[in-house]
Amino acid sequence: MSTDLVLTYVGFFMMGAIALIGAVLAVSQRNILRAALGLIVSFIGVAGIYFVLEAEFVGVVQILIYVGAITILILFAIMLTRGLMQGTTSGHNSQWLAAALLAMLLFAALALVALGTNWNVAATRVSSDLIPKIGAELMTTYVLPFEAVSLLLLAALVGAIVIARE
Amino acid sequence: MPVDYLPILVMLIVVSAFAAIALTISALVGPRRPTPAKLSPYESGMPPFGSARRRVPVKYYLTAVLFILFDIEIIFFYPWAVLFRQLGWFGLIEMALFVLVLLVGYVYVWRKGGFDWD
Amino acid sequence: MSLSVPDLNLRIIAPVLIVAISALVVLLGELVTSSAQKRGLGYASLVGLLAAGGAAMGLWDAHAVAFREMVRADNFGVFLTLTILAGAVLCILLSFDFTRAHRIETGEYYALILFSVTGMLLMVTAADLIIIFLALELLSLPLYILAAFKREDERSLEAGLKYFLLGAFSSAFFLYGIALVYGATGTTNLARIAASAPSEMLLIGAGLLLVGFAFKVALVPFHWWTPDVYEGAPTTITAFMSVAVKAAAFGAFLRAFLVALPALAMDWRVVLAIIAVLTMTLGNVAALLQANIKRMLAYSSIAHAGYILIALVAMGGAGVSAALFYLLAYTLTNLGAFGAVIALGEGERERLNVSDYGGLARMQPLLAAMLTVFMLSLAGFPPFAGFVGKFLIFGAAVQNGWAWLAVVGVLNSLVSVYFYLRPVVAMYMSEPVEGWGAPRVAPLVALALVLALIGVIALGVFPAPAIALAAGGLGR
Repeated sequence: MSTDLVLTYVGFFMMGAIALIGAVLAVSQRNILRAALGLIVSFIGVAGIYFVLEAEFVGVVQILIYVGAITILILFAIMLTRGLMQGTTSGHNSQWLAAALLAMLLFAALALVALGTNWNVAATRVSSDLIPKIGAELMTTYVLPFEAVSLLLLAALVGAIVIARE
Repeated sequence: MPVDYLPILVMLIVVSAFAAIALTISALVGPRRPTPAKLSPYESGMPPFGSARRRVPVKYYLTAVLFILFDIEIIFFYPWAVLFRQLGWFGLIEMALFVLVLLVGYVYVWRKGGFDWD
Repeated sequence: MSLSVPDLNLRIIAPVLIVAISALVVLLGELVTSSAQKRGLGYASLVGLLAAGGAAMGLWDAHAVAFREMVRADNFGVFLTLTILAGAVLCILLSFDFTRAHRIETGEYYALILFSVTGMLLMVTAADLIIIFLALELLSLPLYILAAFKREDERSLEAGLKYFLLGAFSSAFFLYGIALVYGATGTTNLARIAASAPSEMLLIGAGLLLVGFAFKVALVPFHWWTPDVYEGAPTTITAFMSVAVKAAAFGAFLRAFLVALPALAMDWRVVLAIIAVLTMTLGNVAALLQANIKRMLAYSSIAHAGYILIALVAMGGAGVSAALFYLLAYTLTNLGAFGAVIALGEGERERLNVSDYGGLARMQPLLAAMLTVFMLSLAGFPPFAGFVGKFLIFGAAVQNGWAWLAVVGVLNSLVSVYFYLRPVVAMYMSEPVEGWGAPRVAPLVALALVLALIGVIALGVFPAPAIALAAGGLGR
């Protein structure tokens, strides 16, 4: 195995472990603030996986949007809510067993299919300088989605004002 | 190339190890003489007042949402900025449209007092 | 790196563009109008919607793709575009006096409706899963907000929150489905997905896409949000959601499954047939038990989603045109029914219980007759639009070898007659209830009701032209 491949594996499992530990913390902590902090750890792990897979742009986006902004929003939402700030909330409800079974079933199905699929592997390695490529695609092929995003963000902006203004 | 990230991996390991060692050693050998002042939470040198668990005003939420939305918009500038020369007029017009829509949103939020604190 | 400008055919997306620009204008108009002038923003929205309708008619028989096959103009898309615009126009006509009475008359109300319509129009023109996803978000997000628009009303807030949480959840499923489809085929373009070899991964991706669509059109078992959201949202918004979202989401649903996934039809037809049976049966049986008319119409809308699903299971040209005709008929009929409920409101009070309709035939004979027509059309009585729609759908099912499904549909229609006629019976047979004055119908609401009534009767008596238009076909 080349150094590259070894490093990819090491990095993938390290980042995967971080993401998984964070996710477990997020669903198991009784204090919702701690659960949110677990979620941050998970987000960072996922960003790490993107970097290991050489999807740098997505990794940067993950860190900027999820680790940076979404987390702040989640923490604010908790701090705004009186009930959640005081004491702990129960982490599970009466349907946890059914939910766990269903989740495991979904996981098993996806894992089986993913392992059994003959993936379309690109013939040539994508060059490391991906961001200009993403930019070129975004501004030509995906021009319509790109402009649709601005409308979506505007609608969200209006919604934020309508809902949250005192 | 994953090799390019090797220094970051090393850095990560060093930092985690340093933090773990520093905390362990100070916990093991440091003297413990608590006083009320030492036990109070550190708030940038200010004496803390009130409970940390009171509810914060909803205004913060609006600020956070606006921050996220404009943050996402910035992300879209990044790949455009990398090659705006090749994209030429077409790219400029596209970005102008994108910004124009957002500008409408900005004016809307501004006129609605979304940026006012009181 | 060489960059080439994509094929920017603005004509194809002209209806979408016009509605989007109207939304921006109305939003800015909100900033410069006094509270007495908000009505003007509603009129501006109407102008935008009608202009978009004109632009859409110009696309008839255009048969073109643009933006590197991101969007496609075919008669299927144009028919649904016009259906959605008709629904939006009627909704805005119903909104003028309703929003004033409920103190939610703002520019944002109209702007958000227009944003949602932009998403819907984009959705029925989309030829790529990326566009479908963005359109789905663009149509949903304003509706989450509109559902919670009456901020002082806890039920409205609950409706918005519930819709948002479950909607976000279903969007995640949809996005996961797109990712798997892309993983299996290497493309998100509908036509190119069809050209690639089917695989298990594609099947799972299709299943997740189905969950996303099933949530949006309220198919069992993804329908739980519907009654609460429909009950809590302002009635005009409920009316709009119940018809326009269905038209848009079913449009993309049909396109995605018939254009991109015909190779897997053996698998999904059976699943969809079972879902259709469950959806119709649960919708109709649950509607029997409702005393609240908004909840009853919510369950009725679930049942109608089940009928339309039969058309998708039937496939083929007959199935597609039956679905399109049904969506148009349902849009006019259901908006008429909700319109009558809106017309009968007094200030902020609404006649929500079936018993509130007692004796209306004597006080408002015309309105009572109209509501009766809409209820009969929903139940599928001739000579109204609903009958022709059901006839076409069940016909398509029989023709393509799904006769048993058509039988289940007919049995369900029989059950539905009972609850659709309950308000009618109350209006004609019961005494008026205390505490309600004689209703006065605002002129614009009356206009909307008359337009819907003309549509329902015209489609029922002379269905041939609309059937011919609906048979225009799905571009591949």
